Amino acid sequence: MSGSGSASDFVDPVTGQPGAIVYQGVHKAFGDHHVLRGLDLVVPAERITVVIGRSGTGKSVTIKHIMGLLRPDAGHIWVGDDELTTMSDRELRHIRLRFGMVFQHAALFDSMDVFENVAFPLRQHERLREAEVRAKVGALLDAVGLRGAERKIPSELSGGMRKRVGLARALVRDPAYLLYDEPTTGLDPILTAAMDKLIADTQRAHPGLTSLVISHDMHAVLSIADKIVMLVDGRVAHEGTPDWFRQSDDALVRQFLSGSLDGPMKV
Amino acid sequence: MNSASTPAEDLGGPRRRRGLLVRLLEGVGAAVLGVFRAWMGVIEEVGRAAWIGFWGLANAVIPPVRLRLIAQQIEFIGVQSLPIILLASIFTGAVFSLQSYRAFVTFGAQAMVGGTVGVALTRELGPTLTGLLVSGRAGSAIAAELGSMRVTEQIDALEAMAVDPVSYLVKPRLVAAIVAMPMLTAIFDFVGIAGSYVVSVHVLGLTEPEFMVRLADWVDWEDIWTGLFKAFVFGLIMGTVACYKGFYTRGGAKGVGIATTTAVVVSSVAILVANFFIAWALP
Ligand SMILES: Nc1ncnc2c1ncn2[C@@H]1O[C@H](COP(=O)(O)OP(=O)(O)OP(=O)(O)O)[C@@H](O)[C@H]1O
Ligand SMILES: [Mg+2]
Repeated sequence: MSGSGSASDFVDPVTGQPGAIVYQGVHKAFGDHHVLRGLDLVVPAERITVVIGRSGTGKSVTIKHIMGLLRPDAGHIWVGDDELTTMSDRELRHIRLRFGMVFQHAALFDSMDVFENVAFPLRQHERLREAEVRAKVGALLDAVGLRGAERKIPSELSGGMRKRVGLARALVRDPAYLLYDEPTTGLDPILTAAMDKLIADTQRAHPGLTSLVISHDMHAVLSIADKIVMLVDGRVAHEGTPDWFRQSDDALVRQFLSGSLDGPMKV
Repeated sequence: MNSASTPAEDLGGPRRRRGLLVRLLEGVGAAVLGVFRAWMGVIEEVGRAAWIGFWGLANAVIPPVRLRLIAQQIEFIGVQSLPIILLASIFTGAVFSLQSYRAFVTFGAQAMVGGTVGVALTRELGPTLTGLLVSGRAGSAIAAELGSMRVTEQIDALEAMAVDPVSYLVKPRLVAAIVAMPMLTAIFDFVGIAGSYVVSVHVLGLTEPEFMVRLADWVDWEDIWTGLFKAFVFGLIMGTVACYKGFYTRGGAKGVGIATTTAVVVSSVAILVANFFIAWALP
């Protein structure tokens, strides 16, 4: 299969769900630095998929491909019924309208207050009356526990609050796909737990949503994921349910889960 | 010493000489390559800057118009530059009339002060000093703002939200720079001449007609239009360079600092160079 078709033609072996996002034989190099080396991956629809892997293995590069922020050198990528590799920049921009993205450092606009940050995607892409905007943004700030912080500017917020604003902003246009790039990196253990819960709650509150999370935080990975994917050298080394990962006696998996210095992966 | 060379030296001599030649050639080669690379780098940078300038302007006629953002930037680049432009123009006009008075009065030609100051301000000093001052004030701020948006992933976030960052960030700043620069220049011209008038008439003792006659005589609309055209070009240069440097910032806080400084240096030098070529090309 190539060029045509749909992500839902693929079935995810781990969850049994049809695919929402599918990578097939994707290669990407920057100069002579070959990052993705034949990535095959099915992201199951309406589930939380977590991608783990060492720093520099290409997790962020993987995510940037589905946003159309990077283009593959070879292979195919499907998002729903669309195949991205043959699309024009304009069409790719259209694909992005279906995504929400939570950035590692939140990437809030520091010239705007919290309310305007969350309202931004609505103001850019939808013609809503001010009352509707206020209702939507208010509901989301409630959901992420930031009611009352509307008029704060990002520099007045803690790291955890920023990420929650970032999540509210990513959700405001009801995306079909929600991407998180290291949502908990840099947070303290309590905030990390709160963020994990928020990711799980968000998934529960939006039944049609497909979530893709990049994470280093093994605890979160095991507790919130429906499917875990382990990237090594730009390829999927292992994929499975959290239970499979817990019980695996693969040396690589064990080392990653325990955070040990001894094992096949070297610092 | 000439005949007693050991076999080792016999072998070493030519080898050393060849080594020297090779090294010399390598050095020349590396230097040529280095210069070539540097020029390619410059050409590439100019190309990318031109690209962003072009798209920024092209976006001016592509919806969404983003009038509010443009107005905000005109407020920032234009209105907030007023104090520095007012001060600079008063004192430029003042010192210029003082110095030209001292020169002209020695042969009794002090009536030429008004005209000289008028032509110099409208053709050269108005646009050039305005360009340099606004580059220092607004150009640096634009580069710093876009640069920090780049390194904190705010520009990526715009992309991710399907908002074209060139249309959202670059266009308003570029359009505002092009609009604000001629306006500030016109103010610089007017206030500079006013400053010159005050010094000439109230300090140096010229009569009002002495000051005004040559001013009215010598300063043509053409001088003023030339100056405003220059200001338009300088606005384009300042806006393009500042946006370009900010937009493609790399390397964290340090990168933002570098982007800011180079934006000011490059746009200032480019303004001075462009000034010469415009003056040369226009009558
Ligand atoms: N735009 C780019 N240009 C050149 N190289 C890049 C680019 N983006 C990523 N890379 C390289 O690709 C490799 C993978 O980067 P990526 O950001 O995907 O890593 P990651 O798995 O997300 O790591 P981390 O966990 O540290 O975020 C890195 O070695 C990086 O240097
Ligand atoms: Mg990353």
